[in-house]
Amino acid sequence: MRLVRAELFKLRTTPGPWVVLGVTLLLTGLGVLRPFLFPTTPHHLQFLAPTSTFRLRELVGSGLTVGAEYMAAILGILCVTGEFRHKVITTTLLATPRRWRLVVAKSVASIVWSVYYCVASLAMVAALGIPLLVSQGGSTMALWHQVRPVVPGLFGSFALIALYGVGFGTLVKNQIAAVVAVLAISFIIEPIVIGVSPEVGRWLPAAAAAAVSGDILGKGIRAYLLSWWLGAIVLAAWGVVPVVVGYFTTFSRDVT
Amino acid sequence: MRTSGGGAPGIEVAGLSKRFGSVRAVNDLSFSVAPGRITGFLGPNGAGKTTTLRILLGLVDASSGTATIGGRRYRKIPRPLHEVGALLESTSFHPARRARDHLRMVARAGRIDRARVGAVLEVVGLGVVAKRRVGGFSMGMRQRLGLATALLGDPGVLILDEPANGLDPQGIAWLRELLRYLANEGRTVLVSSHLLAEMAQTIDDVVIISEGQLRASGPLSTLTRQVRSSVRVRTPDADRLTELLRPRFPAIRRLAAELIAVDGATPEQIGPVLAEHRNLIHELVTESTDLESVFLSLTGPGRGGIAADPTPPGTAPGPAGPAVVAPPVPATGWTESPPP
Repeated sequence: MRLVRAELFKLRTTPGPWVVLGVTLLLTGLGVLRPFLFPTTPHHLQFLAPTSTFRLRELVGSGLTVGAEYMAAILGILCVTGEFRHKVITTTLLATPRRWRLVVAKSVASIVWSVYYCVASLAMVAALGIPLLVSQGGSTMALWHQVRPVVPGLFGSFALIALYGVGFGTLVKNQIAAVVAVLAISFIIEPIVIGVSPEVGRWLPAAAAAAVSGDILGKGIRAYLLSWWLGAIVLAAWGVVPVVVGYFTTFSRDVT
Repeated sequence: MRTSGGGAPGIEVAGLSKRFGSVRAVNDLSFSVAPGRITGFLGPNGAGKTTTLRILLGLVDASSGTATIGGRRYRKIPRPLHEVGALLESTSFHPARRARDHLRMVARAGRIDRARVGAVLEVVGLGVVAKRRVGGFSMGMRQRLGLATALLGDPGVLILDEPANGLDPQGIAWLRELLRYLANEGRTVLVSSHLLAEMAQTIDDVVIISEGQLRASGPLSTLTRQVRSSVRVRTPDADRLTELLRPRFPAIRRLAAELIAVDGATPEQIGPVLAEHRNLIHELVTESTDLESVFLSLTGPGRGGIAADPTPPGTAPGPAGPAVVAPPVPATGWTESPPP
């Protein structure tokens, strides 16, 4: 717990996580406004139809389609690679010589920050989406009934994606390379695989996250998605396996 | 300043070896460091000092042998920052983090009272810049912040790698006083350095290593007494004089174009040679044996503190220049290793 608090302190005393939080808010905001700005987007047409009952799932989904969820992965990457980039790892290991405890603390701290990001995202959805919804004659009551089925899965996918980022960071110690790689995989490679072969694609992190969050990201493979719990296990594995491998490689090496 | 009681633990290195691939960075190294004294850990660049300190601090795994503090490996110490404070050469800081936050971060991870943060910032003279971001710090300020980090847990053992780097002359004088103060409080202070002039005025004991091996260890005063005296000759014809003297005095160091040092000689022995061969000289003085000459004589040919790569095993270090030949050092009262 003490180490987790130290990691949280580390994160909040550097600008990186705050910048990523800003990007999360920006992306969410743009996502919510997108159907308003580009009403021809077919997937979002229903938002603006005055007769439809707005659903939180779509509202949140419209906010997060742009990829706000993946900011949690970037946070996880920053949490690990920041140590190596600025050589703070020496100081860290002097205070915490038992390295497995450090890896666990980093994973937990990243998950805690992913909760912040998720809350911020939801706040943005509410701040922009609800007025938009009301202005279009939608029902906010229908919205509140959606909170229970949608929100827990959303927090779950944020948390597991943060863990995925931690794993990514332990394998690819170079900060820039890790961030670029995770974005390229999530936004280019995975959609291609999903498009070509949904049976394979559903086992990838993005589709697993969609399974956990109830396909709010609208990946278009709803029919192929894993069940939410299997999706959670798969996504957790995408995080835990690299973290364990990273522990035995990156974190067990000599620090020279 | 020391608030925790009890005698400080010592440092014990026994049969320590470390290989990086085919390079033997540390080779069967053994020495001990006593509390209440400042021990200089000296050696040319690439001698294995930093590797040894990193093994001692659990950052690098030894290939064989042990390095313990108070009988325990660093990783086995439950609250290490309360017992050992370290400043390492490459210790770095997040440039965007404020100095005070860096220390608070370490305090949290090391279970150290937050009040210590302000205290150590004052000790190292950074109190006024506590809220500034480290990115704007000079090298000397970073070094002071590193020292503050080492002192944060009020440890009985201090391990400092090149602490004088980046400090201005006033800073170095301040560092000397600080180290003396800390040692007088009974702490164990191990300081590595290649800046010999700074060290000579500071240290009580020395551990000298070269090519990963121990060359000597013990009190500095004993060591300097045991290295033979040296005569410095300034002459426009240094080459010829070196040739003339070499049969009798093989330990001749070329200090400059017109300056040589003849180790193990006295002016009475050199004077007749000069007269016989009608050598013109501008200066003839007895050099008091100092840490530098001890260091040079012990760290081998051509390895006088300037960048020297670790020699791969099996490669005999040949004479790198015309000047330096190491005289043997008497072993009395000394822990001394055989030459490679």
